Amino acid sequence: MKDLRIKISGTSGQGIISAGDILSYATARKGYYVTTYRAFPSEIRGDGKCYYTLRISEHKALTATGDTDILVCLDEDTIYEGLKTIAPNGILIYDENIVSELKEKRDDIVIYPIPLGTIAKQLGSERSRNMVALGIVVGILKNLHLEEQILKDIELRYKLKPQAVIDSNKQALNAGFEYEEKELERKDNYDKVQMASTGAKLIMSGNEAIGLAALTAGCRFFAGYPITPATEIMEWLAKELPKFGGKMVQCEDEIAAINYALGASYAGVKSMTATSGPGFSLMQEALGLASMAELPVVIADVQRCGPSTGVPTKTEQSDLFAAMYGTHGDCPKIVLAPMNVADCFYQTVNAFNFAEQYQVPVIVLSDASLGPRRECVDLIDIENLKIINRQKPELKEGDVYNRYEDTPSGISPIASVGDKYGEHVITGLEHTEANAPTPAPEVHKQMTEKRFRKLETAAGQFSKAKTYGDEEASIGIISWGSTSGPVFEAIDKAKEKGIKVQALYPRTLYPLPTDWIKGFVKNKDVVIVIEANYNAQFKSTIVERCAHINKGTDVLEFLKYDGTPFTPEEIFEEIERVDSLQKQKSALLTNKHTRF
Amino acid sequence: MKIMEPNDYKGKVKPSWCPGCGNHAVLMALKKAMAELNYQTHDTAIVSGIGCSSRFPFFMSTYGFHTIHGRALPVAIGLKQAKPEVNVIAVGGDGDGLSIGGNHFIHAGRKNPNITYIMMDNEIYALTKGQCSPTSRIGTTTKCNPYAWTADRINPVLMALSFNASYVARGYSGDIKQLEKLILGGLEHKGFAFIHIVSPCVQYNKVSSFEKIKELVRDLPDDHDVEDRVNAMKYAFAPEGLYTGVFYKTERPTYEERYQEVISKAKEIAGNNYTVKDVMKQFQ
Repeated sequence: MKDLRIKISGTSGQGIISAGDILSYATARKGYYVTTYRAFPSEIRGDGKCYYTLRISEHKALTATGDTDILVCLDEDTIYEGLKTIAPNGILIYDENIVSELKEKRDDIVIYPIPLGTIAKQLGSERSRNMVALGIVVGILKNLHLEEQILKDIELRYKLKPQAVIDSNKQALNAGFEYEEKELERKDNYDKVQMASTGAKLIMSGNEAIGLAALTAGCRFFAGYPITPATEIMEWLAKELPKFGGKMVQCEDEIAAINYALGASYAGVKSMTATSGPGFSLMQEALGLASMAELPVVIADVQRCGPSTGVPTKTEQSDLFAAMYGTHGDCPKIVLAPMNVADCFYQTVNAFNFAEQYQVPVIVLSDASLGPRRECVDLIDIENLKIINRQKPELKEGDVYNRYEDTPSGISPIASVGDKYGEHVITGLEHTEANAPTPAPEVHKQMTEKRFRKLETAAGQFSKAKTYGDEEASIGIISWGSTSGPVFEAIDKAKEKGIKVQALYPRTLYPLPTDWIKGFVKNKDVVIVIEANYNAQFKSTIVERCAHINKGTDVLEFLKYDGTPFTPEEIFEEIERVDSLQKQKSALLTNKHTRF
Repeated sequence: MKIMEPNDYKGKVKPSWCPGCGNHAVLMALKKAMAELNYQTHDTAIVSGIGCSSRFPFFMSTYGFHTIHGRALPVAIGLKQAKPEVNVIAVGGDGDGLSIGGNHFIHAGRKNPNITYIMMDNEIYALTKGQCSPTSRIGTTTKCNPYAWTADRINPVLMALSFNASYVARGYSGDIKQLEKLILGGLEHKGFAFIHIVSPCVQYNKVSSFEKIKELVRDLPDDHDVEDRVNAMKYAFAPEGLYTGVFYKTERPTYEERYQEVISKAKEIAGNNYTVKDVMKQFQ
């Protein structure tokens, strides 16, 4: 077997996330590929259910979805939810101390009732049930040889904690190994699972990748306010920034956070904030200020279900309109959408480069399925990244410095507080090139054009759209952000079945690179726009901006808005449906479609 | 270093305030106090929000940031935290600082950033042509409340004292000499210095005119102990009149100093020569 899915589930507070994290680090460090998916409730304790899915593979896998090989349940409810997702001949492990008899069963799987509670209690604390269970899983997967690595990982993970914490976790893991070895009557075949180690790689979450990118790009100031699922970015930077003399400050609210960042940017320090929907709404006015005053700033929005408080822990791609058009007025900005954890890193580096170079706010749209997800990332050449700093004016005594000089590129050199002879006042009011406020019609027109000209200058610099699949395909998929994993896997599956599909991920969503989209659409009979929101936000943008480019190409939408990420299966089914309708030359296709 | 005169701080834009507006006196007093300390224009930033008094930065030759309504303090504090070596002065009105920006005022006091915050209080929204503000008096009538204003007043000095601002003073635009002294004290103070300046509006506030305020104003007694916060609150409460002078002054570590300790701690854990390559180890 080259591919293995493990799911750990239970009630909030039972240590599901810790167990999943520890196992994912150990597998990655052992040289296997791993990608994960986490789902958790908003409550810290209580009845909320937690799920941590890992897909361990020899080759890079793009999603963690699919049938489960080994399901570990630390409570009763998740057993029945998970039972039907177990692959034939798969394993269910549950705690017989809390479930005396299963209400539902399956004959085609192996079921191991294990006295997790008793074992843990003997070690001193029932709370270590998660580690005992993890030890058993590692024992079952003998030929992945994870034992040593996972014990090392415990030490690394808890190195700032008291030794007793490390010891008790190790004891619990060892007890799990031992139980598997001596007590467990094996009826499964998973001891035969072997994988080749594919060498050194990195493992990180999407949120950590954004933090790492910020640090690498030279960000030395972060201001934020805690919010699920973005908090991990500020937690990571709180730990790392001060080591470099940088600062992470926690503010009284998100309005303060972005304004702190703007103050820092005016002082010449690369700065950012990170948030999710509700916080992003609060930041909109200051985002317009950044655009008007031409101050570089980066905002990461780790989207969750909205509107309002919505479903804080579940994923959605419904902030695209807010990112593109949220603040009032004609407001130049740049919106980027990373496709996976590695891309979170690269797009955030781009975000800082664009912010500094074009003096605009840059928004990075991640989401709840991408931010907390840990997965393997190919090695990053951290020391040879292209880092761009803002263009400084040459300042001499007696020279006149016009902060907003109207240049052919639209970019005016920017002096920072502290620079001699660079004194100037910036403002959210319309202003002249010499930064004096004015309501003059010709100035507002001229300066609006100057600010937007920067985006035209920037257009050539955006990282190329990512395409995947067969260029000859008549079915196209246009999508953005975290959908890339399931979409690419669905395309692979379609290929196996003889259906050619090609996908396009522009990654820069605003300003919309219409040329790429036009070029892509040209050879397609039908294009499906796939996104996780109700309003087909990206599709309507494409249709609006790219109208009349290729008469005859149908543009369909395939949407999901239940808070869970797309699965490759769902997308494959849609591809099949579209393919068969197309073959029948059926009057396309649904009533919800647009023809260019 | 250039020896500065008050006139050296004169900005490119001519003050747009009405003739007779109290803010002219504040502008002059600040310039004098800055000259006294020989502040250089390039390492000083004036940050404001929105309102008549928030036009202030345009009238100065230093760096300046005229931000959005209510947000002078977070921008100023972020700027100072990012670059502690520059002088940061936040300015604005009562509506800007107590209403839309009130939340930031609370937290500025508790964080104690080393900045000076000058609030010009005319008890009215003047730039929008006269609506009641959090310091307007009960019974005031404006176009927005033609019969009567129905909310009690905020007491900004009392607020600053309760939120633990480390320098709290009040002045009055009719006494420029005292203003200069109070502002100078604020600039010299290490920590969050709040200076409440009653600065009458000659256009839209007929209730709190110069004449009326002059009747109310009185100096804090000479024997007032500026380190006694409870007593300072009694004077802030005083129904008999409007006390001016330094209410409270104490010293404690600033926001920037406290963060410097965070940096020292982090660097101690990381060790010297910590680079991005070391950061990568946690992901390997």
